[in-house]
Amino acid sequence: MSRLDGPLRARFRTRIPQAWRTPLGITGAVVALVWILIAVLGPALWPYDPLTQDFARLEPPTGAHWFGTDELGRDVFTRVLAGARVTVPLAVLLVGLSVVIGGVLGLAAGFFGRWVDETVMRVTDLVMAFPTVILAMVVAASLGASLLNAVLAALVVSWPAYARVTRGLVVGIRQADYVLADRLLGFSPLRSLGTDIVPMVTGPVLILASLDIGTATLLLSGLSFLGLGAKPPTAEWGSMVATAIQNFDSWWMGVFPGLAILTVVMAFNFLGDALRDALDPRTAGVLGKAETR
Amino acid sequence: MFGASRPVALVAAAAAVALAVAACGSGASGGGGSGPTLVIDSTFDLKTVDPGREYELTGQMLTHGMYETLLTFTGDDLTTPAPGLASSYELSPDAKTLTLPLAQGRVFSDGSPVTADDVVFSLQRVSGMKGNPSFLLDGVTVAKADDTTVVLTSAEPNAALPFILPNPALSVVNSKVVTANGGTTDDKDGAEKFLNTTSAGSGPYTLKSLDVASQAVLTKNAAYNGPAKPAYDNIVIRNVQAATQALNVQKGDSQVALDLSGDQVSGLDQGELTVTSGASAYTIFLFLNQGADISTTTSNAQYVSAVKKAIDYPGLLQVAGTGSVQPASMIPTMIAGSLPAAEVPKPDPAGAAAALAASGVSGQPPKLAYPSDFTLLGLSFQTLAERLQSQLAAAGITVELAPAPVATELDNYRNGKEEIGLWYWGPDFPDPSNYLAFAPDGLIGKRANWPASAAPDIDSAAKAAAAAVDPAERAGLYQEFQRSLNAGGPFIPLVQPATNVVTAKSVTGAAYNPIWTLDLGSVGVAGGQ
Amino acid sequence: MVSSPLVRYLLRRLGVSALLIVGVTLVTFVLTNLVPGDPVAANLGQRAAENAETVAAYRAHYGLDRPLPVQYATYLGNLLQGDLGESQQTHRPVLVDLQSAVPATLEIAIGAIVLSVLIGVGFGVVAAVRRGRLADSALRLVSLVGISVPTFWLALVAFYVFSFQLDLAPGSGRLAPATTPPPHVTGLYTLDALLAGEWETFGDALAHLMLPTLVLTLYTVGLLTRFTRSAVLEVLEQDYVRSARAKGLPGRTVLFRYVLRAAMVPILTVVGLAFGALLSGTVLVEEIFSWPGVGSYAYQAASHLDLPAVMGVGLFVGIVYLVINLIVDLLYGAIDPRVRVT
Repeated sequence: MSRLDGPLRARFRTRIPQAWRTPLGITGAVVALVWILIAVLGPALWPYDPLTQDFARLEPPTGAHWFGTDELGRDVFTRVLAGARVTVPLAVLLVGLSVVIGGVLGLAAGFFGRWVDETVMRVTDLVMAFPTVILAMVVAASLGASLLNAVLAALVVSWPAYARVTRGLVVGIRQADYVLADRLLGFSPLRSLGTDIVPMVTGPVLILASLDIGTATLLLSGLSFLGLGAKPPTAEWGSMVATAIQNFDSWWMGVFPGLAILTVVMAFNFLGDALRDALDPRTAGVLGKAETR
Repeated sequence: MFGASRPVALVAAAAAVALAVAACGSGASGGGGSGPTLVIDSTFDLKTVDPGREYELTGQMLTHGMYETLLTFTGDDLTTPAPGLASSYELSPDAKTLTLPLAQGRVFSDGSPVTADDVVFSLQRVSGMKGNPSFLLDGVTVAKADDTTVVLTSAEPNAALPFILPNPALSVVNSKVVTANGGTTDDKDGAEKFLNTTSAGSGPYTLKSLDVASQAVLTKNAAYNGPAKPAYDNIVIRNVQAATQALNVQKGDSQVALDLSGDQVSGLDQGELTVTSGASAYTIFLFLNQGADISTTTSNAQYVSAVKKAIDYPGLLQVAGTGSVQPASMIPTMIAGSLPAAEVPKPDPAGAAAALAASGVSGQPPKLAYPSDFTLLGLSFQTLAERLQSQLAAAGITVELAPAPVATELDNYRNGKEEIGLWYWGPDFPDPSNYLAFAPDGLIGKRANWPASAAPDIDSAAKAAAAAVDPAERAGLYQEFQRSLNAGGPFIPLVQPATNVVTAKSVTGAAYNPIWTLDLGSVGVAGGQ
Repeated sequence: MVSSPLVRYLLRRLGVSALLIVGVTLVTFVLTNLVPGDPVAANLGQRAAENAETVAAYRAHYGLDRPLPVQYATYLGNLLQGDLGESQQTHRPVLVDLQSAVPATLEIAIGAIVLSVLIGVGFGVVAAVRRGRLADSALRLVSLVGISVPTFWLALVAFYVFSFQLDLAPGSGRLAPATTPPPHVTGLYTLDALLAGEWETFGDALAHLMLPTLVLTLYTVGLLTRFTRSAVLEVLEQDYVRSARAKGLPGRTVLFRYVLRAAMVPILTVVGLAFGALLSGTVLVEEIFSWPGVGSYAYQAASHLDLPAVMGVGLFVGIVYLVINLIVDLLYGAIDPRVRVT
């Protein structure tokens, strides 16, 4: 692991701008930026209200309705734009929470070892062995279907991967010379953790996290597709595709929200990939979640 | 190249072989016999085809095709019970005794004759097993008067009994065969497994194979000697989602699709297919909980009145699709006792606003609960609820949607915990007495926390209608009951969704029946194939 | 018996796995019972659920009238005898249900994983070897698109375009209507048809298999291309590979004998996990193609609070996960001597 020597922070500063100059990086950044703008600007961009049911039902795309109308006479284009405010922030939230929870547990497991390590690893095994669908349905049924509950259900199945990766990284680092040297110098375990280990772990974990936003988006929209996420009449891409199945002929109802999911996920994947390429092509970490496919 | 072309070439070759074989394979015609096969696509609601235990839609359709009942209905006429295995019926003046002389010469699929003993065994089995349909014969005892007559005695006057008997759950089974395979007339019965693999009835078809999750296959009953004319050698009923049904029937993979919604039907090419649309017997309704401890808002009489006036019923019909109707009462249009179309409630926005102001309710908006994953005849409750919320909001009435999967929501519903509930009622039998459930303290009345003491006049109207025996008098009294219910009750009938039966041009006689969906015995082939 | 380190390792792993399986059943049991909602009402239908006697008979039949710990203990006891209970929905033993659902999912999963490995590993190797050039960029684009596409959406679009509009693929289900499945040997219709020599049925089953398999393959190809590429890249820069090339060994030998062998470790992990994911989570694709596999069985069971069925699926998924992990770990040991159990 020779390439992880040296302060990571400096490499961040020089390499990130470099990464984004690749075609993939630029495309990803632009698309992601567009979606973030759509989410932030929100209602300012909407031609109509996403909840108004005034228009003719199931109309194909026309000049007045670029993406057509849905089964209740709502404008699909507005709803696709509105969906950005729902899915993207929640995906980021999910990844953030997974990183924090998984990271902390993985740090503890890797650093303190022995029974802490065993316990955490067995728990991750247990969780990863659990079928995602059933867990999500149980959470939704007990707590009620809502986006936050979907995030909760997704969180439960997402943190183990981060715990595993963090633990693996910590185990690799804690025997490094400089860590041992600092311990010999009298650093307490906590200080050793904070000064020597965490900075080295943050980089790879953050890279994985950025790669994971796309997966989180897919997971959340998959849960909404199953009816376990967004509460109606919220405009959410996954549930819009689910309704579209009942109206096969009205292809515009499903194709456009699906394309929205696709472009958002692609953008974040491109970005994450470019980032990883620049910093360390070998941190092709294994995230191994049981997906809802 | 590092030999990366090799894996690619392998894959290409494999794909080519697969495509070639598939091309040969998809030319295979379905069917195991030499005669015509009918493929029906339906969204399954099926647990078993043991007549004494089944009470789900698909089970009813299958059982009706394989077994026969004492009385039946012809086509979609639910007002007159027609002869089945009984040649006629006679109801005593006090409506407590029903005498049924049996038709002679009818046989089961194994050739043995249908006897009065078989009838008695079958009906006692339904009651005794305490399965889903046993409530149909609550308080009814069956006995044979002689070898050709069966008598049903009810503890209470039971004028509805001739309308209950056509239910496929009350089919006559071959008692010798069933007993030989573990059948009894009490809850120790063990014949279900057998009956899910082999049918023991006298109907036009017999069971060839059954997979409750995916497919049922019926074959023509060679020994059948009844009035129906089974036209197919094999009938395959497949479990398919509605959207895929539309694709399949258009491609010709199936010849009948049963669950398409009005929207899906309007996209079909009517030149190739026949679409029969009509109103179903389901009543989708809204109810407001009258328990003050559940919600002070919904139990407020003025609020209820405001909601009734605020709903834009034609707007709901728009979502429900062509063929759906707005019922004027909880009793749907095709059953006696329903109110005529002229008495349909009309939207009244001004009245709604006034009532809302007079009600003086404030605070948290009530929750509109409904099963999130439920679709009735192609109409999704989700869609309906969203439309309702929008309509009420336009009138100044805010409600929050609170969906939950049906298994969870059913519990809330049955325990009377829902503030506003969106549900449906399908008649167990086509008689107005089935709708006494909506009287105060009735089955559904309880779920709305609506006691008899809160509406004594409605309660007495219901009791008067229940006690009547003469058909004309009954119809009038039930109509009075419905009128008082509309005026002062917490139930709001919304829509009777449309049934759309889509068939290929080669299929004839596919009429919708609210009890058994499709009478498999009368579905025929056009052009004398 | 020779108590070799391998045997001891296996026994220890099996012991831990057994404990984990019990853990999974316990968690599933607790969770499903926590969900508000009475399975009785959901499975009996509204009218029957009002009748106290019917409800009592139902509860007695499924053992629901006993206290929860007793129910769980009974379940475990039956489990040891191979009895997974009876599904409240299909009224059949859960084991029988799984015996028909698992092969259905297995067919798609095996098809998808085989195709994905062939294509994905191939793409990944090409991309790594031609790093920085057009082929690399193109393949990385394909891979990124593959892992970005929402599978449920792709299934819908594929079904609509290929089956409906273009009529290139057959309709829903595993076989054409009224076609009798081949005699049951494995439950995989393609294999069973081959074994029985029913060529038409084989072709039909294969045709129906195509679309769902291809939809699932796209994602896994994306995943495998990505990981293969980075794994191969890492190995290509190692000293021993450089020295092998410096020695003048032909490219192909270097690739297969050194590079792929070393890269196998991370690739295998991903393949194993992808296969596990395919087996346990194909709900969306199965719903769209009306494919009666484990995914849709799990969804139906969970919707109806069908406890025995839910437990059965949880058990199946847990076992799959643990077995795959075990196999992957053992293969690690076989391929990379440094990792071998000491």
